[in-house]
Amino acid sequence: MVFRAVIDADVLKNSIEAISTLVDEATFKLSPGGISLKAVDPANVAMVSFELTSDAFDSYESTEGEIGLDLLKLVDVLGMADRSDNVGLELNETTHKLTITMRGLSYTLSLLDPSSIRKEPKVPSLDLPARVTLNGNELRRAVKAAEKVSDHMALGVDGDVFFMEAKGDTDQVRLELAKDELIHLEASGPARSLFSLDYLSDMSKALGKVNEITVCLGKDYPIKIDFMMADGKGKVGYLLAPRIESE
Amino acid sequence: MGVDLRDIVEKKEIELKELFGKTIAIDAYNTLYQFLSIIRQPDGTPLMDSQGNITSHLSGLLYRTTNLVEAGIKPIFVFDGEPPDFKARTIKERAETRGIAERRWIMARALGEEDAFKYAQASSKVDAQMIEGAKTLLGYMGVPCIQAPSEGEAQAAFMVINGDADAVGSQDYDALLFGAPKLVRNLTITGRRKLPGKSIYVDVKPEMLELSTMLDALDITSEQLIDIAILIGTDYNEGIKGIGPKTALKLIQKHGTIEGALAELNEGIENFDVIREFFLCPEVTSAYEIEWQKLKEDLVRKFLCDQHDFSVDRVDKALERLSEASAQKQKTLDQWSP
Repeated sequence: MVFRAVIDADVLKNSIEAISTLVDEATFKLSPGGISLKAVDPANVAMVSFELTSDAFDSYESTEGEIGLDLLKLVDVLGMADRSDNVGLELNETTHKLTITMRGLSYTLSLLDPSSIRKEPKVPSLDLPARVTLNGNELRRAVKAAEKVSDHMALGVDGDVFFMEAKGDTDQVRLELAKDELIHLEASGPARSLFSLDYLSDMSKALGKVNEITVCLGKDYPIKIDFMMADGKGKVGYLLAPRIESE
Repeated sequence: MGVDLRDIVEKKEIELKELFGKTIAIDAYNTLYQFLSIIRQPDGTPLMDSQGNITSHLSGLLYRTTNLVEAGIKPIFVFDGEPPDFKARTIKERAETRGIAERRWIMARALGEEDAFKYAQASSKVDAQMIEGAKTLLGYMGVPCIQAPSEGEAQAAFMVINGDADAVGSQDYDALLFGAPKLVRNLTITGRRKLPGKSIYVDVKPEMLELSTMLDALDITSEQLIDIAILIGTDYNEGIKGIGPKTALKLIQKHGTIEGALAELNEGIENFDVIREFFLCPEVTSAYEIEWQKLKEDLVRKFLCDQHDFSVDRVDKALERLSEASAQKQKTLDQWSP
């Protein structure tokens, strides 16, 4: 198995952080066309799928294969890189290690055995009636507002309005964005589901950096949030199971 | 108790949170026995109320079940029914062992010996009154109790096969012999544990055992696993002296069945075909209903504090955790999985 690549530190960092908000360890699929991953959090509540094509890298060479990585360690190591740095990645198959180089530094990271990592999940195919495209920072702002009153929030579409609502024991907050304040909105019917802010808050850290995210919603259905990164050469998708609305 | 497959099973340490949203059919008798054996004072005396009734099992049920529910696990307790006739000898022998252990315990305790705890553990007995108490408490806690017609592990395994539960919870490996696709061990004893007789603490984590993975790894069928168990010894037979899991595995891999293995050893096991048949087709019922009820805090408090002298403060704390956890409304992606 061969894997040798050079990539912009910022792209790599954002990629790994988008995944590590949900899982500590993950198995990446390597191929000549790029790298990809699907992983689900230990509680099976949230899923992330990730793709980065080979042209997102400055240089890229890989055969088919898979590697298991400790994402927390990787994030930690990447913390040493400056935004503008180039990061070199090289797999040593015999020692079972990944060498990460950046401006003279050279880290050797032990790989994890993919069989010790939870299996790649099957991705549910969902038919979600509402689809909203907006600036990721708007969603992040809504999550922050909701956190002030509750540990969960509702997201939904009512007519031409995308709304977010959180109710605590005593206080509540509501944010509405009309169609003309959004990049895009289409809905074949009303949608509303309740989600845990624990998860949304983690995800919104990655979402807040993105100019355009697409949110798909149903009625008491999982939420699907997709966005592009690395100038369209990378793709991240989140899926989060809802909470049951209390009586 | 149960068959000792430890040396040949393929197990995976997991985090409790990986069982979030999962329904676990817990072998009630096995769990109560664990509580009774572990929850004791240093001299081996179990927890008791002012009337002298043992309450170790109730303490375990309240606090440990609360931990599970808090981790998002949905527990079902499966209680034993009538044991099969051919278990009679085992049951008699166990009673004798317990009797001896109890006499030793009383002596060791009187002399202040360190062995007291060990003997006390070996004298643990789950009696009818404890089972009644456990069912009452679980009922008030809103946790479903299922009555097995025969062995609880067989019924629990059947419920997993049926898709009504995700795994059996038990310390014993027998559920695998009854065909349970998944077995979780250490479920109710997860956490920091003191090693007996030493002041060393270890972290006990749940273990997940998957039947198919295990059979594949050993390259045997489930029938052959049962034959291996019978050679080692089960709850229903003594097993061949000197034959452990590894030797039994080799013998069955070589001969295919227990008949060939017994011929090579020039040994016999009484009723082995009856026992094998019992593991393959145990008496189970599909007439069960799994329903999680609302927590009845008043009744739990009355039962534990008024009748069994539990501390109101501690019970209230557990009830608060339990009630908060029962309100857990987070769904998992399972129900949308293709």
